[in-house]
Amino acid sequence: MATAPSTFEPGPDSFVATDTYEVGERMSAWEDTWRRLRRNKLALVGMAIIVILVITAIVSSFWTPYDVWRQSLGPTYQGPTGKHPFGLDDSGRDILSRLMGGAQVSMVVGVGTATLSSIIGIMLGLLAGFYRGWVDTLVSLLINVFYGLPDLLIVLLIVAVTQQRGLGNIILAISLTAWLGMARLVRGQTLSLREREFVEAARSVGTRDRWILVRHIFPNALGPIIVQATFVIPAAILFEAFLSYLGFGVKPPTPSWGAMASDGFRSLQYAPHIILIPAAALCITLMAFNFMGDGLRDALDPRMRR
Amino acid sequence: MTRGTLIYIGQRLLLITLTALIVSSVVFIGVHQLPGNAFLTERRTNAAAQAALLHHYGLDLPWPVQYVNWLTGVLHGDLGESLVNRGVRITPLVLREAATSATLGFWAMVFTVTLGMSLGIVAAVKQNTLLDYVASFCAVIGYSMPSFVTATFLVLLTVTGFYAWTGGTIYENIGWGKPEQIPVPAISLGLLPSAIIFRLTRASMLEVIRQDYVRTAWAKGLRSRIVVIRHALRNALIPVVTILGPITTSVITGSIVIEYIFGIPGLGKEFINSIANRDYNIVIGVFTFYAILVGLANLLVDLVYPMIDPRIRY
Repeated sequence: MATAPSTFEPGPDSFVATDTYEVGERMSAWEDTWRRLRRNKLALVGMAIIVILVITAIVSSFWTPYDVWRQSLGPTYQGPTGKHPFGLDDSGRDILSRLMGGAQVSMVVGVGTATLSSIIGIMLGLLAGFYRGWVDTLVSLLINVFYGLPDLLIVLLIVAVTQQRGLGNIILAISLTAWLGMARLVRGQTLSLREREFVEAARSVGTRDRWILVRHIFPNALGPIIVQATFVIPAAILFEAFLSYLGFGVKPPTPSWGAMASDGFRSLQYAPHIILIPAAALCITLMAFNFMGDGLRDALDPRMRR
Repeated sequence: MTRGTLIYIGQRLLLITLTALIVSSVVFIGVHQLPGNAFLTERRTNAAAQAALLHHYGLDLPWPVQYVNWLTGVLHGDLGESLVNRGVRITPLVLREAATSATLGFWAMVFTVTLGMSLGIVAAVKQNTLLDYVASFCAVIGYSMPSFVTATFLVLLTVTGFYAWTGGTIYENIGWGKPEQIPVPAISLGLLPSAIIFRLTRASMLEVIRQDYVRTAWAKGLRSRIVVIRHALRNALIPVVTILGPITTSVITGSIVIEYIFGIPGLGKEFINSIANRDYNIVIGVFTFYAILVGLANLLVDLVYPMIDPRIRY
C-alpha cells in the first residue's frame, strides 16, 4: 500500500507529561480507517458477502456441481430438490451451477471495469487538474459533454456497434462511460491539493512534476478515489445485468445473472424460482458493495457525516 | 429573469447543442465506418437493387457528405428515414414514442418524488422510531434493487395475487394504452430513485431540523405542520433538488429496460429494437434526441435552484 501522508499520523501529544503518557502504538491512516470500518456492522456484512462471492467466482472457474451449459439434467422448470438445490431452468440446466458461473461474470466485469475506468480517470484527472491548460480544457469538455448522458445508451450502442460480446468488450464499453466520474473527482481533488503547502514544499526543493503527482497528490486523493472505485463495481455489475437482460450481454451459454433473469421472466407464473434466484443474487451482491462503499466513505472521511 | 440568467441559459443551450453535435457525429461516423451496410445481412438482393437501395438512402456518397446531409435534415427537424421499414419517417415516429415514454417517465417521477420525499420527511421528524427504522431499511434494499427485479416482484404480486384473486376482472398488467396499465411499470421504474431521494431528504431534514431557527419556530408555538413544511422543508429541499437532474437521467435509462419488459411502445423499446435490427438511422436519431432531452431536463433543474435558494444566482 502507498505510504500514508504524514499529517494523518497522530504524534505524541506535547501537552501531556511524558512520564505518565504512554506513546500509543503507531497507527497508519490505513489502520485507523480499518478500525473505523470494523465498527460499521453493515460494512462488515457487505465485505463478508463479497469474500464469499469472490471465492464462489474463483471456484466456479474450475468446478461447478454440473456443467453450466449441460441441458436436460432433469425435468425442465423443476423446482428446488435435493439434487438441484436451486432447481432447473427452462432447458433443464442446473441453476446453482449457473449462478456460480454468473458470479464469475459479474465479478470480472465489476472489478475489471473499476480497474480500467480508474486507470483512465485517475491519469486524465491528475493531468487535467495539475497542468490545467489545454489538457484540462479537453478533459473538462469531454466530461461536460458525456457526463449527463444516460450511460446505458452509450454502453448499449458500443456493444451493438462493435458486435463483440466478449467480457473484455463489455468491460471496455462500461469503462468508457465510468471513467468520467473518476476523472471529475480526481481533477477536483488535484486542483485543490496542488495549492497546498506540502506540494509547494516539494516543489521548492526541486521535486519533479511526475514525482509530485505520484508521491504527494495521488496518495492524498486516494481516499475518495477508493470510495468512487468501490461504487463503480456495483454500477458495472448492474450494467452487465441490464445488457444481458436485454440480450446484448456475454454469448450464451455463458451464464450471466441478467440473462438468467430474462429467461426466467417468461415462466414467471409457473416457475418463479428461475428468475427469483438470480435476481436475489444480484440484489444481495449490489447491496454488499453499496454497504462496503458507504462504510468506506464514512471510515475514510470521518469529518463528513452523511 | 436577470441578464445573468439569460447569459447562463444561453451558455447551457450552447453546451447542449455542442453535446448533440459531438454525440451525433461520433455515433454517425462510428456507425458508418462499419464494414458492410444495413442491407447486406437483412435481405438477399441483386447488385442493381442493392445499389438502388444505397442510392435511395444516400449511402453511396462519401460519409462526410452523408453527415452534412443528415445534419441539414436535423436542422429542418427531419431525422431521416428508417432503413428497415422503407418510407417510415423517423421524426414523427420518435415524437410519438417520446410521448409514450414521457407519460411513463412522468408518473414514475411523480411516484419517486412523492414517496421518497414524504417518507424522508416523516422519517426525519420521527427519527429513531420504528417507522424510521423500517423506512430506512427498505430504502437500503430499494437502493440495490435493479428495475427489472422490482418489475418481477410487482408482476408476480399483481399476476398471481391480485389478478387471480379478482378473477382477472380488474387487472391487466402487460401492455400499454389503458390507465390501469401505468402503475406497475411506473412504480418499477421509480422505486430505486425514490430510495435515493428518501435517503437524501432524511439526511438533509435531520440537519436542518436541529438548526436554531427551527427551534425558535417551535418555541414560538407554531403548529408542527407549519414548522416542518414552511421552516425546515424549504431549506432541506435544496440538496434534494440537486439530485433531480441525475434522477431524471436514471429514470430515462431505466425506462429502456422497463419498456422492454412490459412491451411499452416507447423510445427505449425503439432504441433496443433498432439496435437489434441494425436500423442505424433510427439509432442515431433516438440517441441525438435523448442527448438533447437530458440536456434540457438538467437545464430545467438548474433553473429551479434559484427559486428555492435565493443565494444561488447565475
